[in-house]
Amino acid sequence: MFETSLCQILFYLLAALAVLCAVGVVAYRNPVNSAMCMAVSFAMVAAIFFGMGAQFLGIVQLIVYAGAILVLFLFVVMMLDIHDEGKSRGSSVHATVGVLIAGFFAGLIIVTAWNLPGATEASCPARNLCSSMGELLIGDARTVSEAPATTPQYGSYLPELSPAAAARMENPAISEEEAAKATSISDVKLLGKCLYTHYNIPFVILGFALLSGTVGAVALARKIRKD
Amino acid sequence: MDAIINWYNDLMSNEIWFYLIHTLLKLVLMFAVILAFVVLSVWIERRVAGWIQDRPGPNRAGLPLFLLQRFGSKEKQPLKEWLHFFGIPETCWIAKLCTWLRLDREIPCFGLIQPCLDGGKLFLKQETTPSYVRKFYFILAPMLVLGPPLVAAAVVPFASEVNTCYGNISMCVANLEIGPLWIFAISGLSVYGLTLAGWSSNSKYPFLGGLRATAQLISYEVAMGLSIIPLLMMFGTLNLQQIVQFQADNGWTLLPLWGEGLSWQRWVMMLPLGISFIIFVTCVFAEANRTPFDMAECETDLVAGYHAEYSSMKFASFFMGEYAAMVIGSAVVVTLFLGGWSIGFGADAALAAYCDWLAVLCQFLMFVVKLLAFIFFFVWVRWTLPRFRWDQVMKLGWLYFLEITVANIFLTAAVLYFIK
Repeated sequence: MFETSLCQILFYLLAALAVLCAVGVVAYRNPVNSAMCMAVSFAMVAAIFFGMGAQFLGIVQLIVYAGAILVLFLFVVMMLDIHDEGKSRGSSVHATVGVLIAGFFAGLIIVTAWNLPGATEASCPARNLCSSMGELLIGDARTVSEAPATTPQYGSYLPELSPAAAARMENPAISEEEAAKATSISDVKLLGKCLYTHYNIPFVILGFALLSGTVGAVALARKIRKD
Repeated sequence: MDAIINWYNDLMSNEIWFYLIHTLLKLVLMFAVILAFVVLSVWIERRVAGWIQDRPGPNRAGLPLFLLQRFGSKEKQPLKEWLHFFGIPETCWIAKLCTWLRLDREIPCFGLIQPCLDGGKLFLKQETTPSYVRKFYFILAPMLVLGPPLVAAAVVPFASEVNTCYGNISMCVANLEIGPLWIFAISGLSVYGLTLAGWSSNSKYPFLGGLRATAQLISYEVAMGLSIIPLLMMFGTLNLQQIVQFQADNGWTLLPLWGEGLSWQRWVMMLPLGISFIIFVTCVFAEANRTPFDMAECETDLVAGYHAEYSSMKFASFFMGEYAAMVIGSAVVVTLFLGGWSIGFGADAALAAYCDWLAVLCQFLMFVVKLLAFIFFFVWVRWTLPRFRWDQVMKLGWLYFLEITVANIFLTAAVLYFIK
């Protein structure tokens, strides 16, 4: 009871802050303020991931977005020495196109969330997302939801995905007693297993896409010798 | 009395209260240790610098005796009283020796009080905020430099586990499944502090310093993250507590002399692990912004770099942040490569079988000793090597380290595939 209510309070608090900062990104006229708002928003999303027990996703969010990409952003913004933008007169065409695009993405997110397994039953949205994430990751191994739930970790939103079930999934040959002894779930292992088995080919293709992007950047930045 | 014991039992039997209480205690201990080490490493830095440059360094400052007596009264001389007490004449060589050691004025501490006095001086200095700075970010920046290293310390294990009758206590504040990544992510956030300090100062040299800091930190973060992948491939886990446990059982990463560490496969692994160690340590130097990598504040070309406009405690925050980053960097190197808290040669298991708390105490002391040794190494390098040039730093990061680390990952994979 204590855990659930605390988790819910934290989730709503962090989510509200994330949305507030996201609004700040668009609302501020000073680009540095916008960039800093974006950083805080990323950090809040990472914190939400943490609260759900997806520690690896949260930390990757921090390293990649808040730690690297956004700092480069800030770097460029500062180098350019941009001052506050003046207020531009919005034309109706711009507004319509903006609303259409934003509406499209909002609709996409709502439909996805609605179609997640169990979305209309439980009360806390975080828990829905999380339990469904467990099912997505595990794919065909449906035994997980039937496994007896042991004590969940502190601050974890994963009551359905028990540590014992995770241990059994990781090593199918494990005995029932040993599986019951497992105390924590490592989402690093879950994610790795999922990415390198079910989604191996898309993952490799994505890797090649990123590699070609890197090669392209180096090619563009390369100094061309005169001789 | 019974009521108190009962109440204590009830409190500790409650899982949540037990968790909260022991976490809070560990948190306080960790913070105290890190902050004490920040002060201590300033002292080590100055003493070792003096030693290397063949001068004494700050060896005088001790606890002044007049603090112990009534404030300000210098009339009473405890030394003379003690001499009278033991019946030693004031002209004797013992008395002269004591006077030479300044025992008549203070309790000697080998100059350990010097960093405290420095801190006091910085507190009392005039705080000036130039009128042309961007105020919000100017104030925010020092906090963003000092905060992250202290938070990053949460996952560093400083001893093994203890079994109490109320439950298991793992001796690190947060036993996360993603230890090293947490440290990289959080200490990586301090780059915001440097960047914002440089930009918000709104003047030329700090700005250049801030830009340099950003470029350098981002460059070396990449190589740093990639360089520990060979280790993780060997350990098979990201949990720092388990990593250290592995080293306690099977030999430290760089000293596999017991357990499974004696197998020849493990010694073949030393090649990629050695490369990892060299690159990782160099990256830690770069991330801590210290000579030979102190591009962001090198006084010969940038006055004082990103903190040129700062004074008093705001400057002290940058200063402490730098030393805290150094302490955390040393702690990470010790944890990943030098066995963390493990005493080695199977002594951990033997001690733990004898008494849990004794084992934890010895392990904690071992960790502190290793940490001090590595901090000494940090300082040694700083006062030995000259500063690199800016283009050399960038070239080293992107052209050599990145390629070597990627190749090293493949080498490790090949070694693990063919010989295990």
